[in-house]
Formats: sequence, structure tokens, C-alpha cells
Amino acid sequence: MKRYSQYSVEVSDFSDVPFWKKASFMDLVYVSYGIFIVILVIGSYIVGAFDLLPYDPHEINLELLMAPPQSSGHFLGTDFMGRDILSRLIIGIQAYFLPGLLAIAIAIILGTCFGVLAGYWGSGFDTIITYINNLLNSFPRLVLILLMVAAFKPDIYYIMVIVGITNVPVVASLIKGKIQFLKQKYFIEAATALGLKNRVIIFKHILWHNCRSILIIQATLGMAEAILMETSLSYLGFGVQEPTPSWGNMVQAGANYLMQGKFWPSTAPALAILFTIMGFHLLGDGLNNMLERRRNK
Amino acid sequence: MAKTILEVENLKKYYIQPGGIFTPFKGAKRIIPAVDDVSFYIKENETMGLVGETGCGKTTIGRTLLKLTPVTAGRIIFDEKDITQLTPHEFLPFRRQVQMIFQDLDAALNPKMRIRSILKEALTVHHRLSDAEINREIGELLEKVNLKKSKLSNFPGELSGGEKRRVGIARALAVGARFLVADEPTSALDVSIQAQVVNLLKDLQKNLGLSYLFISHDLRIVELISHKVAVMYLGQIVEMGMAGRIAHEPRHPYTSILWSSLVEKKSRETTKVSTDSKKGTWGVFDFERPHTGCRFAPRCPVYEAKGKPSICNEPSKAPQLQDIGDAHKVRCHFPL
Amino acid sequence: MIKGPVLTIENLRTYFYSKSKQAFIRSVDGVNLEIDKGKTLGIVGESGSGKSITAMSVMGLISAPPGVIIGKIRLSTESIQKNLLQGLKDYVRINMSTGRIMEIYKDNVGWQKNIDRIMYKIRGREISMIFQNPKISMNPFITIGSQITESIMLNTTIKNRSKAKERALYWLEQVKIDSPRLRYNNNPHGLSGGMCQRAMIAMALSSEPSLLIADEPTTGLDATIQSKIVNLLAELKSTVGVTTMLISHDINVIRELSDQVAVMYGGTVLEHGPAKDVLSAGYEYKHPYTAALLASIPNEQHIREKGYLQAIKGDVLDTINIPGGCRFHDRCEMITNKIKERCENHEPDLKDISANHKVRCWLYYDS
Repeated sequence: MKRYSQYSVEVSDFSDVPFWKKASFMDLVYVSYGIFIVILVIGSYIVGAFDLLPYDPHEINLELLMAPPQSSGHFLGTDFMGRDILSRLIIGIQAYFLPGLLAIAIAIILGTCFGVLAGYWGSGFDTIITYINNLLNSFPRLVLILLMVAAFKPDIYYIMVIVGITNVPVVASLIKGKIQFLKQKYFIEAATALGLKNRVIIFKHILWHNCRSILIIQATLGMAEAILMETSLSYLGFGVQEPTPSWGNMVQAGANYLMQGKFWPSTAPALAILFTIMGFHLLGDGLNNMLERRRNK
Repeated sequence: MAKTILEVENLKKYYIQPGGIFTPFKGAKRIIPAVDDVSFYIKENETMGLVGETGCGKTTIGRTLLKLTPVTAGRIIFDEKDITQLTPHEFLPFRRQVQMIFQDLDAALNPKMRIRSILKEALTVHHRLSDAEINREIGELLEKVNLKKSKLSNFPGELSGGEKRRVGIARALAVGARFLVADEPTSALDVSIQAQVVNLLKDLQKNLGLSYLFISHDLRIVELISHKVAVMYLGQIVEMGMAGRIAHEPRHPYTSILWSSLVEKKSRETTKVSTDSKKGTWGVFDFERPHTGCRFAPRCPVYEAKGKPSICNEPSKAPQLQDIGDAHKVRCHFPL
Repeated sequence: MIKGPVLTIENLRTYFYSKSKQAFIRSVDGVNLEIDKGKTLGIVGESGSGKSITAMSVMGLISAPPGVIIGKIRLSTESIQKNLLQGLKDYVRINMSTGRIMEIYKDNVGWQKNIDRIMYKIRGREISMIFQNPKISMNPFITIGSQITESIMLNTTIKNRSKAKERALYWLEQVKIDSPRLRYNNNPHGLSGGMCQRAMIAMALSSEPSLLIADEPTTGLDATIQSKIVNLLAELKSTVGVTTMLISHDINVIRELSDQVAVMYGGTVLEHGPAKDVLSAGYEYKHPYTAALLASIPNEQHIREKGYLQAIKGDVLDTINIPGGCRFHDRCEMITNKIKERCENHEPDLKDISANHKVRCWLYYDS
């Protein structure tokens, strides 16, 4: 038996109901969790900037190698060089966040440009973008990144540029599809008839009013993807290089000791990756549901 | 004597349909004459009705008047200026004067914008206004189109059909339009609301001196609201004249059939032409390959009755619009 | 031989749930209808008046959760006599407070299974339907001929394919499709709109149903084609004589084709009676809504004088917040001081004015 219930009062004007009241409970939970993760990330920068870390993450303590959690003042224990895992965990997110933002910015800005070109101005651009999309799809992304690393140096920013570029066709095709859908509804034509400039139509009517939810979701997903990509590269040894802490190289370094029963050096960053990626995914998902449903009826 | 506001001369709009990837094998591309050699003029404070079946090119004419689609040939003279030659930038001042009411109720309205910002945008597109002026203007607009003020904070999806239509009209007026192309403004509305919108359009014409090109397939409404009527068939105007004469003394067989097919009239009207459904190939016409000579001949009862005279089939002797007095024009070799 | 009406609808209520508005849309809210054998019942109403939802409820096509249907739909034909909503109550629990439905608990799966069990031999066989848009309603990849043949083999006693094909050609001829043998092999998109509607009618009639539901059969067609379809339906009515429920917003079509008329507004029937009485401008006893609706159609006089139309003030009823009292009282122009209080607070019942003419209006209550 499924339950459906209605407002007890007569609702005459639905636009007055704030959107978080119309959103479902689960969406609210998702979004709050996502925002919590974002706050944690920002918190990491504050903690780093004001030197509030429990230990220096780079300080090597050869007397306390692989100390288990909750022992000798280290909340999450120490790693194979005696460095405090908690401090490294807190600083570790910083290896991703700014590079991730770069990847997102590249994907969103270039993707939007191409999407608008293809969707708004027609079939020629559309064909070209489809070809580029096919080209990039046929080329494994990891291979592309490894080539890049081999050609230049294993820098996280170089990697993130590639991640951003490979995401461009995804965003472009989404925006293109949305514009083609909107064009069927004639209001773009009506705006032209009104005398609005193309610039206004594209930025205000199309991107701001109708595509912002797509872009927000792509941004949150892009961040999650950047983290995953760095992790897998670190595991191969091409990601952020020691001694700079990143969750990826922490997992990689800790994994060697898993067989000895020393689980904490790799488990803590792995869990951090899991919850952070989940946070960004849920944030995008929840925002999508809330934004779309708010305006639908 | 009222001034002529819009004059269309020999307007042509051909759509070219590429034949797909096998074009080289099939030969030429197909050319679809959506609008073929159409001429008419509209005076100030006048309504011209444009009727015809689906796909006869009525909407295309409306779209070319607003430069939403380029024309193939011909001239559109608005306020003594040929607008077909203007660049988009030069055309901007005309955008203020010519507006369109779209057939689709949701058409003019961005679904994610509130009604207030839709109207505000229309007001500020050609003028710079202060907030107080905008509020005053919006209030005036709402009064003109008879819309409640409480609807301003709604999204288009929350309005009923009649209200959406009113917002669409208000938006056209906000720019300061003098000439409205109304593309099937009542077709998506209920009967009771349809009457409201028709009355509103008539009121606006009386108070603001608007001119309309009223495109519709509802013959009764066209007859009611228009001063003159043009009947289109396969991209051509086949008959044009004062509304009453077109409806009651049609001279072209097609017009006669069109008006006699009103369901309401069917039982009592005695038309000059028999419309036996078994005769002719009703409802089957090929837009891509119009009949040579007179385009209506394959469906024409007169053609049939006269024993298929060869003049109707002669490609070189396609009938021309000829004046038969009182600004009544007919494109037929044998007007009724 | 059976007696009484073929279809009786008693107090039918169909509600939908709007998730974004957290409210129930009362699309059909207490409809009573009867269709006699061989007669045509026309249902007139504006959009949102619930006329199509009534038809879909009869066909058992309401599935969007929780499309709750309460009431009785009795179908009594020679082969089947049953309530089409039998047992659906078991799958729904409704909580009311102060006369309003506040909560609905529904077992969607069981509900759907039950509907399918009831409608299994009825859909297509006993009741068939003509839809508004024939091109969408027919399979675009199968020729119209084989679609009709399939329908005949499935729903009638003819099981032999060649015989069924002959029967299909007979029906194509009945609906005046020229050169039926050629058209038999056409796909729906190869036909014009009018032709396609004819094919659709042929398909609906080919299963020889006891009840035909025609949902806006002429809407969206050109005026010339429209009149042809109306002529065809009128002719089929006299030759085939199938019991029909005709739904349209076009009063002229309804007037032309129906024997009985029901005028719907806001999910309920305001007037039910013989077509010639209800839809004639001169008839005295009618609902103010019907009168206003008839007046708002441009007639000869309006057109001659280029005058204004008589519009009904206000807007079509919002079926979420149905006002208390008569549903039409906001827009009604015939409320007198005497009945004003009742109009605003109490909903009238359908009252018999003369034999089989019922009106739901306080004007016709004496005291």
C-alpha cells in the first residue's frame, strides 16, 4: 500500500511555497550531505592556513612507524614513515580541490561554448562536435593522460587539464540536446521576434534559465570524477608525488602493508575518497531533483 | 483614407529538401513551394484573415513577415520600407512594430521565467526604463489584456490557457507593436475562453488602432474578426476580397467548398457546388508536385463538371488572380 | 435480449495525484451517465472538464498512480454483464476529513492486475475506441490492412486469415476509403490525416463492439476533412447502428451526431438530455453554463454585425480547488438573489425537468 496525501489547507498559489518544502525528504538529505562535504573541504583549507593541524603532515617520526590508531596521541595512527595520518588526510583533499576546479572550469566553459555553437547555430558545428566526441571516446582516457605525463611531467594540473578536455564533449552534447529541445518550443523564436539580441537569448534564456541545473550537476560530477582519476593515477604512480600528501598516494603507500594486517594507513584515505565522491554525486543528484521539480508544474 | 501599413509583393518562399545521401543517383533536389507568388496589402486599423488547410503556407507567410525565416523572392514593404533587404541590425526598429502571437500557447513564454520578468523583458528590450516606470507599464498592460495582478509572480506552467494567451498578447503590446501577426490565436483554447480572446483582440484594435494578419482555420472566427479575407491553397492565394463576400458569394470553387464544409451549416446550406465525397480525390493532394496549370484542378468539382477542359491543365496558362470588381480577386478560369 | 442501457455510469470519481502540488486533481467527480442501445451519447465540455478521463475510466486505461476510480460502471451487453470496477475497492483505502479526501493508500500492482483481469475480454471486443490522433494511435510499421485483420481475428469469431482480410476490406469500404485494396497495404504515415482517421474508425468497428468510444474524432483535422468525417460517422450510425459515446469540445459536431447529450464541467455532469433540446438555442430549461456556451459560439448575427461575442467571464475550473457549492457559480450570470445563498454553499443534484432531461441547477428547484 502506497500512501499519497495532500495539503490540509487549500493551496491557491503554488509559487509561494518555497522550493525546499516541495522537495522530497531524501533530496534534502542528499543535498545537506553534499554541502557538509563541501564545508569539510573548505574547512581543510582553513585548518591548513591557520596551522591548526594536530601534527605537521610532513614530519617524519622514525620512532613511531605504523602506530595503530588511537595510540600515542595519533588519532588515526601513523604511516610507514611515522607521519600523522589524520593531518595528511586533512591536507590530502587540497591535492584535488583546486586542480579539480580547473578540470570543471575547462569542461564547463568549453563544453558550453561548443554546445551552444552546435545547438544554436546549426548542423555544421554539430557534425564537427560529434566527430570530436567520437574521436575522444575511441581513445582511452587513461592512455591519453599517461602520454601527457610522459611528454611533460607527472603534475596534477596537467592531468586535470586532460580530464577537463575529455569531459568537454559530454557537456557539449548535453547543452546541445537541451537547446535543440528548447528550440521546438518556439520561445527562442519568440524572443528573436521581440528583438532580443542573440547574446541575451543565449546567456539569459538558454543558459541561465534552462541549463543551469545541467551545469551544476556536471560540475559536481566533474569534481567526483577528478578525485577518482587522481586516485587511480596515484595507484599507478603517476599522480600527486610524494611527499605531498594526496588520498591516492596514501592508499597506494598503505596498500603494501595490508597483508601484514596493518589496515589503517590505506583504509582511512580510501573511506575518505568513498564518502567524498558519494557526497559530490548526491549533491548533484539532489540539486537536480530539487531544481527540476521546483519549476516543472 | 487609411494608410497602407504592410504590402507584400510576389512573396515566394521555397523550401529545398535535400534528397538524402542518394541525391546524386536520384537527380535534382526537391523544391517545395510553400509560398508561391503571394501579394496583398493591409491598411492601418484593418484585419486581414488568412484561411486555408494545413500546410497551405499560411504560417510561413506570418513567419516571413517577422523575418523569422528568409524569403526566396519578393518584397515585404512595411511603412514604405522593404524589410526583406535589411540586415538583422537594421531590422531592429521594425521589431518594435511587428509582433507575432504564436499558435503554441507556451511559445512566447520561457517556462522558467516568472510572468513579471517576461513582461519586464519585453518592455525593456527597446527602451531603458526605471523600476517605477516598469511597474506602471506592467500595470497598464495587465489592464489592457484583462489579467489579474496576482498572476505576475507565477510561472507560465501555472497559468490556464486563456491566461497564457493574454500574457502572449501583453508581451506583443509591451514592445509597442502596431501590427500583429496572429497565428491561430484561438485554436488551442476552449470555446468560452476563445470568445474572451476574440473580444480582447477586437477591443485592442478599436482602442489602440492595431492591424492584424489573422491566420486561422476557424472560418467563423475569421469571418467575424476580419475586414478582408484571403483564401490560400497550396501556397497561392486563390481568392481575396471583403470578408462578407468571400463567405457568402464565393467565386472560387475551393472557397465555396471550404465554407460549405462548416459542420453547423451543412444541414441547411445549399451550395452552388455539390461536395459529394465519392467524387474526386478528396484529401489526397501532393504538395511536392502540384498539378500543372491550376493547382486546384484535381479536386475541383467545376473542372469535373465541365468535362475536364484542357485550359485547367495547361502549364503555360495557369490562372492568375484577376480582379472581378469591388477589390474581389479570384484565381480561376471559370469563376462561379 | 437484454433490457436497459448498455452502459451505466454511477457516481464515478477518478482522482489523480499531483506530486508537485501535493494535492488530488479531481478530474472526474461524481459522473452519472447512461447510454441506451443503438443510441449516441455526446459528451460536451471544455478541456479539463473530465470528458476524456471518463472515457479512459470506462476503458480501464487509468494507470498513473494513484488514478483512483470509485463508483460503478455497468456494462450490460448480450455476452457480458458486469461492473467494470468490480473489486477495485479492495486495493484502495481512503481517509476523509471534513468531506475532503486527505489520504489515499493504494496497492498499485494489485489494482492494475485486477483491472487487466476485468478488462481482458472487454477492451477491443466489447468496447473499442477511436482516438484523437490516428497517426499516433496506430502502429506506424504495420500496414493498416493487417492491423485491421489482426483485430478481426483477435476479437471476432472469424479466425481464418483470408476471411478476416475480406472482412477488413469490407470495413475499409464501409468507411469510404477509395480503392481499399490499394490502401490495405499502406502504412499509417502514407495516408493523409482524414484517411488515417477513417482507417482508425474501420479498425474500431471491425471488432463489432457493443460500445464505441470516439474521443475527439474530428479534432485537429482540416475543416473540409472534418465535415467529411462527420458525414461518415452520421452515415455509419444509420447503417451499422453501434452504440456510441462521442466526446468532443465542438458543439456542432455533437449536435450533428448525438441523440443524447451530457454537458460536463469541472468533472461533473451539469446537464443531461436529448440533443435537440439541450443544444438548441431556443430551449427554455437548460443550465446557465450550456446557455452561455452556446452563446459564445459566433453565430450568423455576430458575424453580420461584426459584433462582440458573449464570453463567459472567468476561467475554466481548476479541478484541484473545486469551490464549495455549485461548480459554475463563480462564472454564472443567471444567479438571482433568491438562490444566491444556495448556489454558493450547496451543490445541487441532477434534477429531472422533463422525461430524461436532467439539469444540475438551483434555478429549477422551486422552493
